[in-house]
Amino acid sequence: MIEVDGLRKRFKQVRAIDGVSFSARDGAITGLLGHNGAGKSTSLRILYGLLTADSGSALVDGINVMNEPQKAQENIGVMTDAHGLYPRLTAREHIEYFAQLRKLDKSIIDKRTELLIEQLAMEEIADRRAEGYSQGEKMKVCLARSLIHNPQNIIMDEPTNGLDVMTTRSVRTILQTLKDQNKCILLSSHIMQEISALCDEVIVISEGKVLMQGSLDALLTSTGESDLEEAFMSITRASR
Amino acid sequence: MSIWLVITRKELLDAIRDRRALMALLLFPVIGPFVIYFMFNTIVDIAEEAKDLTLPIVGAEYAPDLVDFLEQSGIKLTPIVNEYETSSEARNSKPYIYPARLLADIREKIENRTYDFVLLIPPDFSIRLGESKTVNLELFHESSRATAQAKMGRVQQTISAWHQETASLRLMARGISPTIARPVSIEKIDVASPQARAQRILGMIPFFIIVAAFVCGMGIAVDATAGERERKSLEPLLVNPIQRTSIVVGKWMAAATFSGLGLLLVMVLNLLALNQVPLEQLGLSFSISATEIIGIVMITLPLAFFATALQLFVGIFAKSFKDAQAYLSVISMLPMAPLFFNIFNTVDRELWMSLVPMLGQHMLLADVVAGKNPPLFDFAVAAVSVVLFSLVFIYGATLVFKRERIIFS
Repeated sequence: MIEVDGLRKRFKQVRAIDGVSFSARDGAITGLLGHNGAGKSTSLRILYGLLTADSGSALVDGINVMNEPQKAQENIGVMTDAHGLYPRLTAREHIEYFAQLRKLDKSIIDKRTELLIEQLAMEEIADRRAEGYSQGEKMKVCLARSLIHNPQNIIMDEPTNGLDVMTTRSVRTILQTLKDQNKCILLSSHIMQEISALCDEVIVISEGKVLMQGSLDALLTSTGESDLEEAFMSITRASR
Repeated sequence: MSIWLVITRKELLDAIRDRRALMALLLFPVIGPFVIYFMFNTIVDIAEEAKDLTLPIVGAEYAPDLVDFLEQSGIKLTPIVNEYETSSEARNSKPYIYPARLLADIREKIENRTYDFVLLIPPDFSIRLGESKTVNLELFHESSRATAQAKMGRVQQTISAWHQETASLRLMARGISPTIARPVSIEKIDVASPQARAQRILGMIPFFIIVAAFVCGMGIAVDATAGERERKSLEPLLVNPIQRTSIVVGKWMAAATFSGLGLLLVMVLNLLALNQVPLEQLGLSFSISATEIIGIVMITLPLAFFATALQLFVGIFAKSFKDAQAYLSVISMLPMAPLFFNIFNTVDRELWMSLVPMLGQHMLLADVVAGKNPPLFDFAVAAVSVVLFSLVFIYGATLVFKRERIIFS
């Protein structure tokens, strides 16, 4: 469960987000939809404790990220925008490194690693070094290492960016599985099809402000449009 | 397992697979001992050659006395035949002057290194000698040829010994004591011979050791700072609930491990090189005891931590490998400072020097290599100072690491 209230963040003269409030519930996939530079990444980075908000609050399972960032991080699995793999480490080593950083027991690490490798169909690359991985393979490693501690909350910044159809589909399947396990999934995207295919809830964000939050149907009904793209356009246009 | 240890292990694994980092660790330490080995052997060769000396000579037939004297002094003579003047009649006609072509020939042979020098005896040698006049001997040489200096010196010494002897004989023939014409006699006692040069080379060892501390850990230091930023792997790393201090310390320990290994490798190889050099031929003895080796290790090992702490602190400001390499190559010049200080200041080591990182180590090492035994207190001061400086850099790196700007750009 993620609750964000009145987040503000300024970088020198640029106001990145200006009072962002939204929530993402357990057992649902929530999508943060907005243009490039709308404030999606900034909001997420505050949520997973890498940026400090100027004001406002962010709660992860009731833990205030500002006060106890590390405790909050324990309950979050994060897939960042940049993959940032180490070219000389294998997929398995990447996953184990993050597991050890999270102080998991050896037996749990082994079990979870095997499970994730199987779930993400990574057998082939598990013991190959990361240099030369395809986008999809890199994505899988990132996903696996962010899920190694079996977090209740999963935050993903542009998860399907640059993936081919096959990999996109397998990501969708994994997200559905996680949703069925009653996890709270929050992802950002600027791709309408992605959001409409995946998300139960949509948050429309533009110029650092949340314009609307609701289910896909609610969004369509309130704008009177037939697809998300039109609805999004009409919402952002109305705000100007 | 502690978090920093997890990070150290990962960085080391990464570095062992990185050919660049591994090359720096394994290649650099070989260079210093190799240079030292090579230089020592050259000095020994020069010293040996001066003992075994051949002197090319023109006109040996005009000065049988001098030739005898030179040969008795152990100098082998190689007569150069005057092939431009074949008739012996012409050669014995008076006054005879050597053909210009012969002189040009000698110059050329010195220039193309056939000879290092040539002694030219004038055809009127015996006549002028008989008339008690001064004879002009000509010694052709090339002053920039350092390797020939020792031999030249010996030739000149031998000739001036003959000169002294002849002068004394002339005076005695006139019933005058030779001492009248020699109010002062200088006996040169040469202490700055090959031994001194060897000492100067031994003085380079501290420099190679200190540079190794900087070079061998640099690969990891760059990869762990600028490398993480360039790969954009910092953000995924920092979403894990860990202290920034653990990350910096973990990376530091990994870099320091490589740096320390490099140091030890340089020391071991230097000792091996010194063992291989025929030092006794220079009248030098280099023996090092186990306690001295432990002393050297204790002096230098803290430098591994110092060098890598400094590199991490600077590397963290760099956004890419390229930037980092540029910044850090400037830092790698730092070990030269104590070397120059030592060259231009011939002062003895003082306690305050121990407080200055690298200078302290350099001076202490120089003392140990020269066979002096610095007090234990000075070692401790140097070690504590270096460790304190390292901790300041690591603290600084941690502060920088907490900046949002560093993570995302």
